[in-house]
Amino acid sequence: MHLTQDLELFPEHSVTQLLFSDVRNCAELRKMAVEGQIPGALINPSMVLDPFQTLAAANKAVHLQKNGKMKTRSLYSEIIFSLSPTNNISEAFKRFGISDGDNAVLIVLVHNREDVLDKDDIVSNVDGQQIPADQMSTICDIAKIKKLYKVTPQEEKCGSVLDAVICRMAAKDVV
Amino acid sequence: MAHMEPVNNKPAVSQFLQQAVLIKQGAEARVYRGRFLGKSAIIKERFQKLYRHPALDEKLTRRRTAQEVRSILRCRKAGIDAPVIYFVDYTTNCIFLEEIIDSVTVREHIASAQASGQSVEALYGLADTIGKILAKMHDEDVVHGDLTTSNILLVKGKEGRDGKLVLIDFGLSYISALPEDKGVDMYVLEKAFLSTHPNTEALFERLLKSYTASSKKAPAVIKKLDEVRLRGRKRSMVG
Repeated sequence: MHLTQDLELFPEHSVTQLLFSDVRNCAELRKMAVEGQIPGALINPSMVLDPFQTLAAANKAVHLQKNGKMKTRSLYSEIIFSLSPTNNISEAFKRFGISDGDNAVLIVLVHNREDVLDKDDIVSNVDGQQIPADQMSTICDIAKIKKLYKVTPQEEKCGSVLDAVICRMAAKDVV
Repeated sequence: MAHMEPVNNKPAVSQFLQQAVLIKQGAEARVYRGRFLGKSAIIKERFQKLYRHPALDEKLTRRRTAQEVRSILRCRKAGIDAPVIYFVDYTTNCIFLEEIIDSVTVREHIASAQASGQSVEALYGLADTIGKILAKMHDEDVVHGDLTTSNILLVKGKEGRDGKLVLIDFGLSYISALPEDKGVDMYVLEKAFLSTHPNTEALFERLLKSYTASSKKAPAVIKKLDEVRLRGRKRSMVG
């Protein structure tokens, strides 16, 4: 169900992604995350094309944390911020974080590689259906993604929408 | 999670590069092959240059890293193939790029075509495509800065389909609308082209023709190219 990937740059860390649909308690989950009761980033899966997109965001967030260069207050908010093509923090939370009325949620966890991750604890907090994490491509809103990241039709000739999104995320500090 | 002490003081990226495979070392940077989030990646590291004043070195290196990222993004937005940027580390000035698999450099391609005794005409299609792409790039005001046949990759087409060309190494690139700068760009290519590939004057001529035909702004660039040929790459005679 879940996906776990090691961060090659930070070999002691891994990233695990859990995807849920038919979620009925997003408001409650959001509150728990704000209070630090959920050790993960809660992401709106309609804005995520592929697990690689969130992985790239998590990698960047860990990197900035290690260098003391985070723009937001925690690693998890930094993951959400890293997904955004702009440097506007509140806009990033609005677009990529979850809202109270949402019915799907993607949870991204960063943990030590060796640690046995207590997934059950997190899963039990979600009042919804866990689905395979790589199915995000089926629930994402591709038109909204293209619009937000300003993916041009010419650009799709030389690569996928995911390529365009990854480039925007990586390059946003210099544009 | 809040307390993750680094194992030692070396940046994670530097430690990572020790395990990666060095594939090229140039004057500006080292290029490695490694893995990034499960994908094969090329890592370009701009190392410190000890012969420069540290403050100047830091500034130049950072600017070039940023410029490379900007130019790649600008090209891709315009539909010109360049590697996807996965991640940029501004503390060690490393860029993580997509590895262009199943590709050869145009240099290798031309050399092997010549070695196998193919006629120059067989390469005309390739020259046409290069001309077209460079015209498109210059229309976006991206000046590559180091155009050579080694910095253009040819990806083999699948199942009989045409291959595509991918521009790489935007390390010396910059944004400019001046025909002068674009003319110098083409001049650098001409010099590199004719010196790496003997007896290809007709081929390069073909490339220039395609370049000229592909853009309204091209004739001004070619005019400048003629000037540059007479005087060399540097405009002023100092330095």
